[in-house]
Amino acid sequence: MKESFNILYAVSLADIRESVRAKWFFLYSLIFGGAIVLLFALGITESQVLGFTGLSRLLVTYIQLCVAILPIFILITTVRAVVGDRESNVLEYFLSMPISLGAYFWGKLLAKFLVVFLPVFLALLGALVWGGIQTLNIPWHSVGYYILLLGTLTWCFLGIGMLISSLVRKQEWALGLAFLIWLVLLIFIDIVMIGVLLQNQFQEKIIIGISLLNPLQTFRTGAILLFDPDLSAIGPASYVILDALGQNGFLAFSILYPLGLGWIFSWLGYFIFKRGDLV
Amino acid sequence: MTDPIINLEDISKKFTRQVVLDHVHLEIIPGDRIALIGQNGAGKTTMIRSILGQYNCEGNISVAGRQPRKDRVEVLQHIGFVPQHPPPIQMSVQELIKFSAKLNKNSEVQQIIQVAEDLGFEVNAHKRKPFLKLSGGMKQKLLIAMALAKNPTVLIMDEPAANLDPAGRKAFFLRLSKIHQQTTMILSSHRVDELLSLINRIIEMDYGKIVLDERTGKHSLSGKLLSCKVKVIDMTDPIKKMLDDWDFQENSEDLCYEGQIVDVDRLRFLNAISHFANHIRELNIT
Repeated sequence: MKESFNILYAVSLADIRESVRAKWFFLYSLIFGGAIVLLFALGITESQVLGFTGLSRLLVTYIQLCVAILPIFILITTVRAVVGDRESNVLEYFLSMPISLGAYFWGKLLAKFLVVFLPVFLALLGALVWGGIQTLNIPWHSVGYYILLLGTLTWCFLGIGMLISSLVRKQEWALGLAFLIWLVLLIFIDIVMIGVLLQNQFQEKIIIGISLLNPLQTFRTGAILLFDPDLSAIGPASYVILDALGQNGFLAFSILYPLGLGWIFSWLGYFIFKRGDLV
Repeated sequence: MTDPIINLEDISKKFTRQVVLDHVHLEIIPGDRIALIGQNGAGKTTMIRSILGQYNCEGNISVAGRQPRKDRVEVLQHIGFVPQHPPPIQMSVQELIKFSAKLNKNSEVQQIIQVAEDLGFEVNAHKRKPFLKLSGGMKQKLLIAMALAKNPTVLIMDEPAANLDPAGRKAFFLRLSKIHQQTTMILSSHRVDELLSLINRIIEMDYGKIVLDERTGKHSLSGKLLSCKVKVIDMTDPIKKMLDDWDFQENSEDLCYEGQIVDVDRLRFLNAISHFANHIRELNIT
């Protein structure tokens, strides 16, 4: 058991080192770290929209930004994990070493989670420190929830990414599929397709079902819910969901659902990876 | 009869509709040194990957009595593998060496460095460089060092000397000659001539079948060094470069060069020098 963990640690460390050297990581950190700096620089903490001001205003804006671009960043970087190694013969070489398939797959997943989540987490931490220096009121409860929410969103899309990476045999296919999934999920958030469905008087249950299944929608609604308990600022589907689950119920759902989805997709990816030809 | 270290029983492998391995039966005993030859697409790489547990096949494969697919960690502790094309690993040289030593029980960092340096790769001078950025020869030397340093029971190498310069090849063949006699080797190659003095069995594959399986006699690995003397009529830059590559030194006689070549490399050396046949006055190999 200890040996398995040592191998898992070695694989994770190797993957973290490779990722940190890659250009995408630099760009990724720059975007998510730079966004916080930019929001402060633009004086967003001093503005007020729908009653949000100070750090709350900054967090809401940052989370909205994350909803839009974090999943695609995660997908693009993760879908190449297995299929990229396979195409470049790195997988052939690494899997000629005594590495268990579990250690390889979960080690990679763990490494990707840390590499994706840490810059966002550190950016939030930086915002808190800077907010503290500027004696802004820090909404601790919301910050804690946001960190959880970002963590589970990351886990969910990492699971989807690893599943795609195990499924396909070409990087182009993996990237195409990732982009398609992101686009579909983005289309089915409250303000886009769901609005159209409501306008066309589709059955309420179907609309709510689609909204609940979409992890992006769940994330978005959960994020806004803390600051806007009536969800007056976002679309009608969210409002109906809130009505059905209640505030605490939905907050719990928006953490547990992406987390569960991430586990299901990653286990499915692992199962496919383990069962098929490795190279 | 010695128990086989590798046993392939009725192995077949298909990719979509194409049969790549077609009912292959093969027993490899400890100490077998095999030249696995055949044209591109003959099934050599598929067979190697199946032994490494990387493919699902029909039939049974066992390595040291275990199934490589099921007991991969235990099986791969005994196998040293050198791929034909070095993979584009981004880890630095020192990270890769540590990684390999951590995963392989019988391997240690110092041992890998020692073997690499014996092969002519100065680890310290390149330790911070990403593996990806090394020259083809350096990458190959490091991969060979990591495979040899774990003292494997089975050594599988796919065109291992293809990227090596003459000095690297000399060091590599000398190193192979020191490997334990019971170590099983599978050397995949397009050419058997340059492997002849290293091997005791030839297996040729074609269209996924073994079409030739022949023992060449009980050779011990030949690490014999041959003395070589070349007298040239005139010295040109290309000849000078060729002789430098083979580590030849000018002796006291005018236009006379001396060096040593490994027995295994005799053909390759003769091939290299034949390009300058018009400039050679005398050639002695003893």
